[in-house]
Amino acid sequence: MTTIDAAAVAEADAIEGLSEQPKSFGRLAWERFIHHRLALVGLIGLMLIVASFIIGPMINDHPFDKPDVLNRLQGPSKEHWFGTDEIGRDLFVRTARGGRYSILIGLLSAVVSTAVGTLIGAAAGYFGKMVDAVIAQVINLVLVVPGLIVLSVFALNFGSNWWRLSLVLAALSWVRIARVARGVVLSIKEQDYVMAARAAGASHSRILFRHILPNVVGAVTVEITLLVGSIIVLESTLSFLGLGVRPPDTSLGRLVADAKGNIDNDPLRVLTPGLVIVLIVLCVNFLGDGLRDALDPKARSNRDD
Amino acid sequence: MTEPLLRVEHLAVGFPSKAGVVQAVTDVSFDVMPGETLAVVGESGSGKSVTALTVMRLHPKATRISGSIMFQGRDLLALGDDDMRAIRGNDVAMIFQDPMTALNPVFSVGSQIVESIRIHQQVTKQAAWERAVDLLALVGVPEPKRRAAQYPHEYSGGMRQRAMIAMAIANEPKLLIADEPTTALDVTVQAQVMEVLHEVQQATGSAMMLITHDLGLVAGTADRVQVMYASRLVETGGVDDIFYRSRNPYTRALLDSIPDLHATTDRLEPIPGNPPSLLRPPSGCPFRPRCQMAIDTCATAVPELVMVGEGHASRCHRTADITLNAEVTS
Amino acid sequence: MSTPVLEVRNLVTEFPIRAGVLRREVGRVQAVSDVSFDLMPVETLGVVGESGCGKTTLGRSLLRLIEPTSGSVRIGDVEITTADRKSMTRVRSQLQMVFQDPYASLNPRIPVRDIIAEPMRIHGVAKDEAAERVADLLRRVGLLPEHGNRYPHEFSGGQRQRIGIARSLALRPRIIILDEPVSALDVSIQAQVLNLLDEIQDEFQLSYVFIAHDLSVVRHTSDRVAVMYLGKIVEIGVRDEIYDAPAHPYTHSLLSAVPVADPRRERSRQRIILQGDVPSPANPPAGCRFHTRCPIAQERCRTEAPELRTVVGGQQVACHFPLEPGQTLVDIASR
Repeated sequence: MTTIDAAAVAEADAIEGLSEQPKSFGRLAWERFIHHRLALVGLIGLMLIVASFIIGPMINDHPFDKPDVLNRLQGPSKEHWFGTDEIGRDLFVRTARGGRYSILIGLLSAVVSTAVGTLIGAAAGYFGKMVDAVIAQVINLVLVVPGLIVLSVFALNFGSNWWRLSLVLAALSWVRIARVARGVVLSIKEQDYVMAARAAGASHSRILFRHILPNVVGAVTVEITLLVGSIIVLESTLSFLGLGVRPPDTSLGRLVADAKGNIDNDPLRVLTPGLVIVLIVLCVNFLGDGLRDALDPKARSNRDD
Repeated sequence: MTEPLLRVEHLAVGFPSKAGVVQAVTDVSFDVMPGETLAVVGESGSGKSVTALTVMRLHPKATRISGSIMFQGRDLLALGDDDMRAIRGNDVAMIFQDPMTALNPVFSVGSQIVESIRIHQQVTKQAAWERAVDLLALVGVPEPKRRAAQYPHEYSGGMRQRAMIAMAIANEPKLLIADEPTTALDVTVQAQVMEVLHEVQQATGSAMMLITHDLGLVAGTADRVQVMYASRLVETGGVDDIFYRSRNPYTRALLDSIPDLHATTDRLEPIPGNPPSLLRPPSGCPFRPRCQMAIDTCATAVPELVMVGEGHASRCHRTADITLNAEVTS
Repeated sequence: MSTPVLEVRNLVTEFPIRAGVLRREVGRVQAVSDVSFDLMPVETLGVVGESGCGKTTLGRSLLRLIEPTSGSVRIGDVEITTADRKSMTRVRSQLQMVFQDPYASLNPRIPVRDIIAEPMRIHGVAKDEAAERVADLLRRVGLLPEHGNRYPHEFSGGQRQRIGIARSLALRPRIIILDEPVSALDVSIQAQVLNLLDEIQDEFQLSYVFIAHDLSVVRHTSDRVAVMYLGKIVEIGVRDEIYDAPAHPYTHSLLSAVPVADPRRERSRQRIILQGDVPSPANPPAGCRFHTRCPIAQERCRTEAPELRTVVGGQQVACHFPLEPGQTLVDIASR
């Protein structure tokens, strides 16, 4: 190895106008992300919410499903942080449990839809022609299907536990990812660097995995966060309608539904789980917003050219 | 002597960014006389487009601006938004590089011209439409009656640029600002559009600020030329002063670096390196790191723009050493 | 006389026009129409024309980045248009490409070292040797081996174009297709890249197909020049023949339309301003494709397509009424 004359390199860099430290795309994205205030708020908020869902019930230890008729319909207190319901179950523990389910369902269906959607969308975009025409029609079909009705039917038959419900939700959501992935692949495959790889004789798999998919990740990541938010809302809607998680288990939507009969006397019971839903979705969307900016391939370094 | 139409003095424009202020325009002063064509040349990042956009007050909101832009005795930088709108598109009009993004795709070309007329003039729709058709004819759009009712996507690139010129001249502006008006066009179409611009100028007597990187275009159309580098004006003068009697190392190097259409050359004389960062410009003269003639002074002090002839000024510590047609070496 | 390194015969590349839900083909655009030429060793053939003339499609068809419809492209004894995967891979090491947009031609997520090494990795060059070659190439194009760790976004346009050139040299090709290699760069940077291309041509004994719309740049770089209009070569010949005595009315008007950085010449020049725009390649005019814009077109031009033939000046021209040396369109049109 020859010794590198650091001073000479620095001098050359100065003439060429290069910064002192090489920065990778990922590192730049990270720097952009941590400078994005909303995204940080979203990330920290989400972490706090999840932590309180997990740690909270350990401190405030009550069973989620055991009725306690002596303590029915209590307001918030030191013993019962969020109060209790008609049969005396602790509402904080139930909210935490419901929230865990809501987040789990959101995450699992987002992961499944992403895997399926990216694969199908990328195939459509990359191979084009008939493959694309067929997939595009399927996507359009799924998009025009009235989701809530299909979900209701499926949920009545399969939707008794959280992971089945997630799969049903994923079956309706993958098209959103597929559409994004297809669009991104369509534009990336026309990029000159893909042409350059083809000119060098690269195989389909090399082009797909080295040049195309890494550049799809950014756009898809953003879509995932948005998807998590809308799935949580959708699941809450289903549960509210009594089609989601079955009692005695609960989810945020069901908690709202359970409380709705008593809304005039005890509006707080409806508001708390509702507020938790709003908080989670807001945090997730802030996060997505930050990721979008951080992973934007068009956002170059601070070069002012 | 006649009064200048536009007088820009000590204009500075900075864009705040996370890493600091990007100084896009630094201490730029110039005049535009009625009816003349002033070309502003420079490479990307030289500040030429920002200067033009600032005259139109079309710069981004968070911009730091100082200096003054006097148009017919009024300081455009001090005007309220309403007053500025009354001037924009009326007394001062702009032609953009990309006509496709500057025309609204959901309205017919004719109705867009009509709109720009009726914003500034009290005329009936009918009269404005007739005027729009006349304008399209003036800029050489064939079958203007039929074409006026068509939408931008039905126009070719060259026709779109003509339509944009028609819109810009609809209110007979005293100053036309053309920002790279032909960069997106093929060379034969570029010739047509430049011809149209020339005819329009003859017919309306308006002055033009032509922003371009194409020195060929400048040679053929400009009365006066102003060369910008790294946010500053480095040389200004009559078109022949700049092309034949330049007293600035950057202008000279730029002219030397372009290949010749009419002679066969063996080797080009490139300018080494890259333009400097506007975020952290080098000390002294911004061209110093790439300049063949740089001396010690150049690293410490930014040279002043000094007069070197009638209406000809250059910003260089060694202006005195650059004699006409002499070989320039360090 | 030496043998050509690249022989192109009657090359045609068509694009289907598709419409409707089933993407049925409803028509065809002939982007490259019956193009033939030879490329000699260490020669630069300039290909000029306006947008839509087919020059970029031609370049990509030569490498089969776009599949040609018919015709032949030969490198040595390999027929590219029908070559199988294996021989195509071998050919690709001899035929490389540099792209126009230095921001789009380098994958933003891969460090420069790996970008330059990729062709070698595909073609099975050993890792150590590849690393050494990358360092050499970086030095050769005026960067430092240490710059290999950096990512494309850190470089300016000119530097990125040099990285693209280093990549194209990695497999030690004999031919490089340069597709508008400097048109996205500032003038002061253009000259750097043009000089670099000039130097490595001598050093590595390369042949270039230099595709560009800038006629001054093409004059500077090319030994021979082909002028394209709507998919066809309308004039091809030695550089100075084409530039000093253009025989095709299109070449002539193209040259007369280029503004030059010389105010005196600009003031005195006779400019022939062509009417109208380039017609759509989907529906080219019958007969000579240029007749709709040609100032000296006659009845014959509307019906009969001219063939390329050698004229007095020495070049080949596809025109029924070619100009003679010294003659200008203005003379003829005013007659």
